[in-house]
Formats: sequence, C-alpha cells, structure tokens
Amino acid sequence: MEEQQVIESTAAGVRTSTTTVHTDATAKWFLISSVSYFFIVGLIALTLAAKFVWPELLGTVSFLTYGRLRPLHVNGMLFGWLLACDMGLAYYMIPRLCGVRLWSEKLGLATAGLWNVIILGAVVELLAGHTQGLEYAELPTWLDVLVVIAWIMFGTNLLMTVATRKYQQMYVSIWYTIGTILWTAFVYITGNFATMFATGVNQANLNWMYVHNAVGLIFTPIGLAIAYYFVPRASNAPLHSHKLSMIGFWSLAFVYVWTGAHHMIHGPISQWLQTIAIAFSVMLLIPVWTVVYNFFATMKGQWHQVRENVSLKFLMSGVVFYLLTCFQGPMHSLRTVNAIVSKTDWIPGHAHMALLGGFSFFAIAGTYHVLPRIFNTKLYSESLANWSYWFFMIGGLGFFVTLWLGGFWQGWQWNNPSIPFIDTVVALKPIWTVRFFSGILMFCGITCFLYNFMATVLNAGEGKA
Amino acid sequence: MLNKVDIDAKVFAGAAVFLFFIGGTLTTIAPPLIDKSWGKPFENSDPSKGLTGKLLPYTEQEKKGLAIYTREGCWYCHTQQTRTLLADTKRSGWRGVDAPVSTPDEFVYDQPHMFGTKRTGPDLSHVGGKYDAQWHRTHFRNPRDLVPGSIMPPFPWIVENEEEFQALVAYLQRLGRAKNWRPDNDYEK
Repeated sequence: MEEQQVIESTAAGVRTSTTTVHTDATAKWFLISSVSYFFIVGLIALTLAAKFVWPELLGTVSFLTYGRLRPLHVNGMLFGWLLACDMGLAYYMIPRLCGVRLWSEKLGLATAGLWNVIILGAVVELLAGHTQGLEYAELPTWLDVLVVIAWIMFGTNLLMTVATRKYQQMYVSIWYTIGTILWTAFVYITGNFATMFATGVNQANLNWMYVHNAVGLIFTPIGLAIAYYFVPRASNAPLHSHKLSMIGFWSLAFVYVWTGAHHMIHGPISQWLQTIAIAFSVMLLIPVWTVVYNFFATMKGQWHQVRENVSLKFLMSGVVFYLLTCFQGPMHSLRTVNAIVSKTDWIPGHAHMALLGGFSFFAIAGTYHVLPRIFNTKLYSESLANWSYWFFMIGGLGFFVTLWLGGFWQGWQWNNPSIPFIDTVVALKPIWTVRFFSGILMFCGITCFLYNFMATVLNAGEGKA
Repeated sequence: MLNKVDIDAKVFAGAAVFLFFIGGTLTTIAPPLIDKSWGKPFENSDPSKGLTGKLLPYTEQEKKGLAIYTREGCWYCHTQQTRTLLADTKRSGWRGVDAPVSTPDEFVYDQPHMFGTKRTGPDLSHVGGKYDAQWHRTHFRNPRDLVPGSIMPPFPWIVENEEEFQALVAYLQRLGRAKNWRPDNDYEK
C-alpha cells in the first residue's frame, strides 16, 4: 500500500510534464550563475592550493593573501556554487512533485537577481578584508541581511507551491526541501546574528552550531532532496522503501543539531557538552545509513545503467562519498581519534569529501539531468560529461586520500612534542604538492562541466535528437 | 499519525521545527546558563588554588590588533587553544615550562573568538611574551628569514604601517597572559 503511493509520487513528475507547462526561468538563471561561480571560485581554490606549495605566490598583494582568499573560496563554493545550484534544482523539482507551476516565476527571478548581488558583494567585501571573523559567517552584516531576505523569497515561493499542490502525498524530496527552508532560517540567524551578542566560548559554541548545521541542516537535506528525486528518476526505478526514508528524515531532524560542540573536543568548552556532541555524532550513523541503504536498494538490478548514464555515475559516487564522509565524522568525534586528527589536514580532506564528493556530485548530477529538459535540447556532449566525471573522481580521490594520510601523519607528529613544529610543516610539503595537482584535475572537471553546460544552453530550443 | 506528516504540510513543518528546537535550545542557550565559567573572567590571587593572575579587558590598541588579526585571516591557520592533551601543553610551553590548559574564563572578552579549527602554523594561545617586537617585525616581513621551511605568507603592508604593526604586536603579546604561568616572568616585550 505504502510502496504503491511512493511509486505514484515518484512518477508524479512524469505525469505533470504532460499536463503542466513549466517555464523554469528561475531554475535556469540559478543554474547558469551557479555553474559560472563554480568555475571562478575554482580558480581561487587552485590559487590557495598553490600557495601551500609556493608560499611567496602573490604574497605581497594584500587582497590576494591567503587569509583573504580562503573565506572567498569557502563562501563562494558554499553559497555561490553549491547552494545556488541546489536552489535552482529545487525550483525545478518542487513544482513537478506538486503537479503545479511554480507559485511565482517573477519572485523567483528576483531571488536569482538578489543572489547574484550577494555573491558579487561578497567578493568585494572579503577581498577588502571586511569579515566578521567567524567561519562560514565571514560576510559583513549588510550581506547577511540580504541573504535572509533572499531566503525568505526562496522559502515563500516553494512553500506556496507546496501549499497549492495537486498531489496530497508529499514525496521525500519535498520533506527535505521544506526541512532545509525552515532549519536554514534558524541556523543562519544563529550563526550570523546571535553571535554578535556573545563572546568567547559562548560565541564559539553558537558559531560551531552554525558551521556544523550549515552542512548538516542546509547542504545535507537539500542534497538528499536532490538525490531522492534524481536517483529514481535517472535510473527509472521506484524508490526502495518509504519507511526507511521516513526513519532517515526524522532522525536527521532530531539528531543533527546537537553535535556542534564536537568542533572543540579536548578544547576549552565544558566536558559534558563535548560528551553530548560525541554521543549524537555517533547517532548520525542512523540517518546516514538508512538513506544510503535506500539508494543502494533502489539501484538493485539497475547498476548496469551507471555505465551509460553520467547523472547516475555522479549520483551513486556521491552516495558512496556521503557514506564515507559520514563514517569519518562520527569516528573522528571520538576523543581518542580526535586527539590525532583534529586541526590537521585530515579536516579539509573530510570537508571536501562531504561538500565536493557528496553534495556537489548530487548537484552536478541533477544539473546534467535537467539541463536538456529545461532548455529543450540535447546535452552538447555525452563524452565531455564523462570526462568531467573522471576528472572530478580522480582529482577528488587524490585530494581526499592524500589529505587523510597526511592528516594522520601530521597528528602523530604533533603528539610527539620532541619533534619541532616546523618539521611537521616541512613533512607535509609532498602532501600539499599532490593536493595541488589533484586540484588541477578537479579544475579540469569544472572546466568540462562549464563548457558542456554553456554549449548546451546556447543550443536551447533545438529539441531532443 | 505517521501518515499525517506525509500529507499535511503544516503538521509536517511543525514536527520538523519542534524536533530541531529540542537540540537547538539545549545545546546553545542552556550551556552558558549551566556552566558559569563561560562568562566569568579568570581571576585568582590565591596560589593554593593554582595559577594566579587576572584576565583584563582589551585596551583600544589590543582591540585594533585583534581586528587586524581577524582581517588578515590569521585564525585560518593558527588555533588559540591549548587542549587537554599532553603534547599541546608541551608545544605551547616555553623554556621547559609547560603551558596551562586553556579554560573558557580566559576568553570572555574575545569578539570574535579566535579558537580556530585548523593548525597549519603553530598554536598561538600562549604566544604572548615569547618573541619581542623586533622578532615579529622581521617575521611578518618574511617568515622564512627566521623560520626556514615556513609557509606563512609575508605581510609587508602591516610592517610598513607602524600603527598597525604596534597594535598587532600588542594583541599577540597579551595572548595566554591572564594566567601567570611562567615562574620567572621572563616575558619579552
């Protein structure tokens, strides 16, 4: 009975595409700008990786110093590329899952415009060194206010679409999208406004609550909304289990927010709060494993399709990276493991696997899938899309694996105080060199993706071959 | 009930926000109310209760130094926490004296906080008084002149601005000084 409903709702998009005409103007503009920022910010990422190998590079220009480029890289990738791409895909999915047109394309286009103002404003402000000095929350307050306004515009548009939906039952992707809209509002306000009224450890606690949940309650749910939509869609197979998806969603809603303090394990924050954060970090295995099992079971008997279908390649590799990154997370929150890897290069290895290997792969998969559909043409080049996959995959693995190994190595060295600190820096230089070359491969992936994307857009309206 | 959250968007949204709020409030609003040391500046004049000393509010100059430290993103590569790990207390120590473990009451005036998440360069929680101003001047101009193998970027625009340089050094020299942890008081200026 339940399974039947799920199949119906996964099929909802197919039915609506024949009955409702979607203009997708908002989705188009969000995708075009996000993919462009992916490329531009990719250049900055590469510059940062190069500075680890050649520390003098661009070193005497104040606005190109490491400390100013890094927040631009992080915020640019998080908000300019990934979140904007996710939003564009949500503007595509939600009307189709609801069987109605988007509540307001005009509001959507205004949101896209405002989002670009925010990103361009962020570039200028961050290069000038105007920063709040809190991770992920570097943007000056006037930009934070604009983000809140843009988020309200985005949320209203999609929630009104859901409120006017034709199908009573809401598919999993709708849950995760609504969750993202609501949780993000609170998480963002905590991280960017509540922190102004706190200092020291209290502020750090609010900051880590935001940093952790920016990943856990913004990028995770919107990323999973995309995966839940496109895995059945791209493989043309019904979702394995509705019940499992419910366990995954509701455990995520309850568990994730408790874990912020695991960023300060062994640090100057109450031990009992660290213990709570560790306990809940381990519980995160529940929402992760239920979701991952659900996707694997959906693919049962369908794996041969991965060979032919670039979207599925990105999706299923993304699922594996998601599984791995969410295994690392609980494990390195344990005090013993944390004593080795915390603050080392392991951490960027972990963060990049989550946001690039997991959620960016979902976003790229979704983009490849919707691109020919919204522009009513065929993808410019399947083989270029395959190239982009392998560049991302090999570059990504090179990046992740070397940083994990390097991180452990570094951590063990730090724990032996007879080794001078500078020796532990020099020891990591080969690691950073490999990371830079892996970055070049990933940047080639971005370039192929952007070129393929733009060439397809320029062929818009040519119909499917 | 379970079916209801599937078909009723309002019930669904209410449940999603409610579950979020349980953990959200218990981990952010409750802890500083329970653990008073988060908001009370360190002060101890009784040697039998451990290290003596007092955390002072920032002077105008130190505040400016913190702003420069924030602007240049020093905190992306330098943490400011001596953790409850033996190696941390040794590495933050100086001339054979181990540094005390960092406690919340040493940071109550920090806005923004500078604990950091990544340690590309050494931890700075107890750097105050380890190096004199001349050392910092040379080091900011080109870190590799003093520390071969370092990958820290040069900061010529700070060294060339005497006011900024003095402010930044004043900030650095106060780090970790709330507790009198060096018995000889051999702090550099």
